[in-house]
Amino acid sequence: MVETDGLAKHFVDAKGNVVKAVDGVSFRAQPGQIFGLLGCNGAGKTTTLRILSTVILPTAGSARVAGIDVVSQPERVRASIGFMSTSTALYGRLQAREAIEYFGGLYGLSGAKLKDRVSYVVDKLQIGEFADRLCDKLSTGQKQRVNIARTILHDPPVLFFDEPTAGLDVVLSQTVMEFIEEARDLGKTIIFSTHIMSEVERLCDHVAIIDKGVIRGEGTVEELKALAQENSLEKAFLKLVEFQTEYRREVAAP
Amino acid sequence: MNPIYWVFRKEVREMMRDKRTRGAALFGPIFLMVFFICGFGTILGDVTKPKGQIVHVVGEPSPLLTSLALKGIQIREVASVQEGEKLIRQDKARLVLNLTKPSSDPGKPQIIEAYFDPKQQKAQIVLSIVRREVAKESSAKLKSFLVESGLPAEASEPIVIKEKEVKVGEAGAGEFIVGMLPYLIVIWAFYGGFALATDLVAGEKEKATLETLLISPVRRTQIVLGKFFALSALCLVSALASVFGLVLVSVFKLPGSAFMLKGGLGISPVAGLITIIVLLPTVAMFASLLLAFSTYAKNSREAQSYISLASFVVVIPAAFSQLIGLTDAGNQGWVNFVPVLNTANNIRNALLGKPDWAGTATTVVVSGAIAAVLIFVVVKLFNREEVLTRV
Repeated sequence: MVETDGLAKHFVDAKGNVVKAVDGVSFRAQPGQIFGLLGCNGAGKTTTLRILSTVILPTAGSARVAGIDVVSQPERVRASIGFMSTSTALYGRLQAREAIEYFGGLYGLSGAKLKDRVSYVVDKLQIGEFADRLCDKLSTGQKQRVNIARTILHDPPVLFFDEPTAGLDVVLSQTVMEFIEEARDLGKTIIFSTHIMSEVERLCDHVAIIDKGVIRGEGTVEELKALAQENSLEKAFLKLVEFQTEYRREVAAP
Repeated sequence: MNPIYWVFRKEVREMMRDKRTRGAALFGPIFLMVFFICGFGTILGDVTKPKGQIVHVVGEPSPLLTSLALKGIQIREVASVQEGEKLIRQDKARLVLNLTKPSSDPGKPQIIEAYFDPKQQKAQIVLSIVRREVAKESSAKLKSFLVESGLPAEASEPIVIKEKEVKVGEAGAGEFIVGMLPYLIVIWAFYGGFALATDLVAGEKEKATLETLLISPVRRTQIVLGKFFALSALCLVSALASVFGLVLVSVFKLPGSAFMLKGGLGISPVAGLITIIVLLPTVAMFASLLLAFSTYAKNSREAQSYISLASFVVVIPAAFSQLIGLTDAGNQGWVNFVPVLNTANNIRNALLGKPDWAGTATTVVVSGAIAAVLIFVVVKLFNREEVLTRV
């Protein structure tokens, strides 16, 4: 489970202004559920995930991942999560198998256990044919499979996906989404951050719409539509985030 | 396995597969040392040899010309002094000798006018060879005159200097090795790590691999230490690669080695030991300095700019180590408190066969303390959120 309560992260920019990247975010994601964080670029999705993965500290509020506090026990939190994003890359001069093993080692796997887990993910994700090739020489799809392998190698109970299909073609996006669904069926707690409505509609059991660091609405896709009194998620989203004013202006002036 | 070892092993693996790092840190020092000794040794050895040198001559035939020709010097006749000067101005002649007729009066010397461009080093070299031959000729004539006059030939040199070398310490290395090697070792210990350092943190940030590393359960201090040990190892290997280049030249007796390495290598086991002892904290100091810049920088280019500026802090004291033999500073205690210079000076003393153990110990403590402070700074920098968010 992932729980946040009044989570906030404020930065001071180069001009000395306080930027509220995340401002009082509270939600709860359950095991066996895909929790969607839906928002535009710069809405606070990545910052929220970075706090949850303990890379940055919250300015205020609290968060627990797999029942562990992100501030007081960051190493334990990190051992319980898998994190995947298309913006994170692989080490180009390592072979695919070496890259997977490296992360296995960092996650505390060793010896026969490491070998077994590497064999398992290599087989499962059909990496075998290119496992001994340098990551720099892999196609985008192959890299994505290695990335997934790295993410699930230590079998974490919680998985974070930060725009995992950004920049991927339809076929690759499909592979990633199928993998996420499979992880959900295995009972993992999944936080899925995106700005693509169709992916949210397909994958997410529960969605939080985030804008300017604040949650504007939360519930199932249907509940969000009902909340915004709209018949599509896209329109509901636009109504709930700051496009609201512009949208209303358009409606008011036909 | 310890996470530090995982990080270390991954960095070493990556650096060994990176052509740029291999070239800059391993082959660069070897190649440059071989090129330097072979190139300079061959050129300097040739230009100082009499054989093949050309001297232009105006005037009467002289026994001096015969002895110069016997040395392998080519003699070319010129019609007049004016013609000879013209050739010098056109860079077609280095030295023109105007041989006047020997005086019939034994009390008057024969005058040989030597025309040359003093700015031309090649002309100076030929002139010095001619001077040596003239001195020999004069001495032979004087001795013959003294003997004919019933005096002993030894009277031609009433005062003679006999050089007696005093052995100080163990047998040491040759002049070139003592002068250049400490400098090159220290320089390569720094520049060898240059290529990898920018990749280690700034490069990871740029290539978007840092976030996945930071999300692993490994503590950031462990990540820093893994990277630090990998970079230190590379700096050490790079410094030793320059020594390996020297050994290659000596063992295979490559062209130029006879001139540059007169008397062989002369690096004693003690000198080798001291070199390693002082190098270890020095590479730790360099590695932590390089890592600090890489951690602070937004990207590889920014890291390169910082490191390029920082390299002066290394180059200046290292360069001074070449001149230290001309001063009394080499044996003074304060030198051991000057980072970089202390390392080079201790290696120099060891190569001279005069190891300074107290100085070596001081150098280890000073460099080690600086390395410890710098690594503490790197850990602090790496633990800041800006290591990821400052892009």
